[in-house]
Amino acid sequence: MTLTVRLAGPATTVSGRGQRWAEARAGSLLALPAAVYFLLFWVVPFAGAVWLSFTDYELAGVPAWTGLDNYRRLLGDPGFWNSAQVTALYTLASVVPSIVLALAIAVPLSRPGRLNGVLRALVMVPAAMPLVATSMVWSAIFADEGLANTLIGLVGGGPLPWLTDERLALWALVIMTTWKHLGLFVIILTAGLQGLPSGVFEAAAIDGAGPLRIFARITLPLLRRTLLFVLVIAVIGAMQSFVPAFLLTKGGPAGATEVLPLYLWATGFGFERMGYASAIAMVLLLAMLALSLVQFGVLRGGEDG
Amino acid sequence: MRPSRVGGVLRGTLLSLVVAVMLLPVYAMVAVASASDATDLGGLGFDAARFGEHLTRLFGQGDFPLYLRNSVILSLGVAVLEVVLSGAAGYALAQLAFPGRRVLFAVVVGTLSLSPIVVLVPMYLVVRQLGWIDTFQGMIVPFAVSAFGVFLVRQFALSLPRELLLSARVDGAGELRIFLRVAVPLLRPALLTLFLLQFLAQWDNLLWPLVVANKPGLWPLPVGLSQLQTEYDFSAGLVGTAALVTAVPPLALMFVLQRYYVAGLTLGGVKK
Repeated sequence: MTLTVRLAGPATTVSGRGQRWAEARAGSLLALPAAVYFLLFWVVPFAGAVWLSFTDYELAGVPAWTGLDNYRRLLGDPGFWNSAQVTALYTLASVVPSIVLALAIAVPLSRPGRLNGVLRALVMVPAAMPLVATSMVWSAIFADEGLANTLIGLVGGGPLPWLTDERLALWALVIMTTWKHLGLFVIILTAGLQGLPSGVFEAAAIDGAGPLRIFARITLPLLRRTLLFVLVIAVIGAMQSFVPAFLLTKGGPAGATEVLPLYLWATGFGFERMGYASAIAMVLLLAMLALSLVQFGVLRGGEDG
Repeated sequence: MRPSRVGGVLRGTLLSLVVAVMLLPVYAMVAVASASDATDLGGLGFDAARFGEHLTRLFGQGDFPLYLRNSVILSLGVAVLEVVLSGAAGYALAQLAFPGRRVLFAVVVGTLSLSPIVVLVPMYLVVRQLGWIDTFQGMIVPFAVSAFGVFLVRQFALSLPRELLLSARVDGAGELRIFLRVAVPLLRPALLTLFLLQFLAQWDNLLWPLVVANKPGLWPLPVGLSQLQTEYDFSAGLVGTAALVTAVPPLALMFVLQRYYVAGLTLGGVKK
């Protein structure tokens, strides 16, 4: 993804042919289990997913080639369009605030100091908690008598039906997701900030540049690569998010939180329509690839990072 | 220097406040674990006696201990296999010339950006074909290696000191011996990071076990927890206690191995 793809030169040879043979043998031996694994659990399934997406396949029967039928059906499937919309909204609404917030926290947090060291460890706690356990807690927080409504009551608001209202449920998921991933983004950005050359900042400060100017003109451009990394994992993570919607709302009420992965799962394993589910998987994959490429294009533009 | 000092205190206070707000839901987890019923979820009080009762019930009756055991088997199994298999392949890709190396590397890089959800259906069909539905190997083997793991170890192995490997060769050590005796000790930080991240990932894996394990006797914690939620004799507090117990091992690991955790998360995001 963001990593440089480069093969190392052939390993240093000691005594020509004998050494080459020994390396080939050891290398094959060490890599063989992984090679078999990738063939069996990624190459074959991926090829299978592409092929199945052109078939009509219910788990009980055999796949029957139907060409583009599944894709044609997707275009007219209101359930699919609803899920695509929900996923887009969920992604946009959870990614943008979490990155902005993470940046706002990471900039002061990346300074040295004992307090900051402690805070950096604490900020990771939500991210280190298992998502499943976290989702259970948040369904208690969003319950009618839960903490969210208690807090709203403190400032004089009435209780809200967080998880049972069509307009609110997705926002409840967005709040939880933002909270869950914020710490991770803060830690990555902090590591990026700490790796920046301090000389540039000192020079700018001597030249009399204010903190906002330094942030906009120096920090942000230098942090591009790290920001791109955070953006890509945030978007990809949100687009394939399954657990919060599955545990907090089961996709409801009335499909308001039925994200694409949930729709895919229900189609494949609830209704056992494997061909159609594979077509959904392909659309999801293409959308993720396209978005990653766009992000690379936009943030990389003109500069090699 | 007074203004900057005031600024520093202000900044520290503000940051501490933000972090405190972030930790509020974590504390809510503790509070919910001692809640008596659904109407008792909104407070932040903690009733130690009731929490103790919940713990006794959780471990004394029902399937929770079973889920816990299954999760330990699943997470340890995957983490150990990952370290051995991804470790070996990552080293081979970085340091040894063998037939098919370029193809394998291309597959690894290609797979990096594929997510499990995309291949969920055919991966299920492969496991069904192998007769592994409702077995531990059906849950473990599909995660025994990962593109991320191979890539992580390879990146790390690229920077192994060449002279060291070379001098071992000159001394007549075999390639496998060099791998085990020279490379593995040097690769330990990367392998530890990999072990930690894969253990945590499986501890929290809901989707795959949900698909391949239909028997409750095989359920790991995530599937078990999601079922507890709907069981009628499980109060909100009991579910909260189960969630809390589930969160403890990952948090403990994270604090003990913080350095490795951060190293794994920031791989690729930070210019070296």
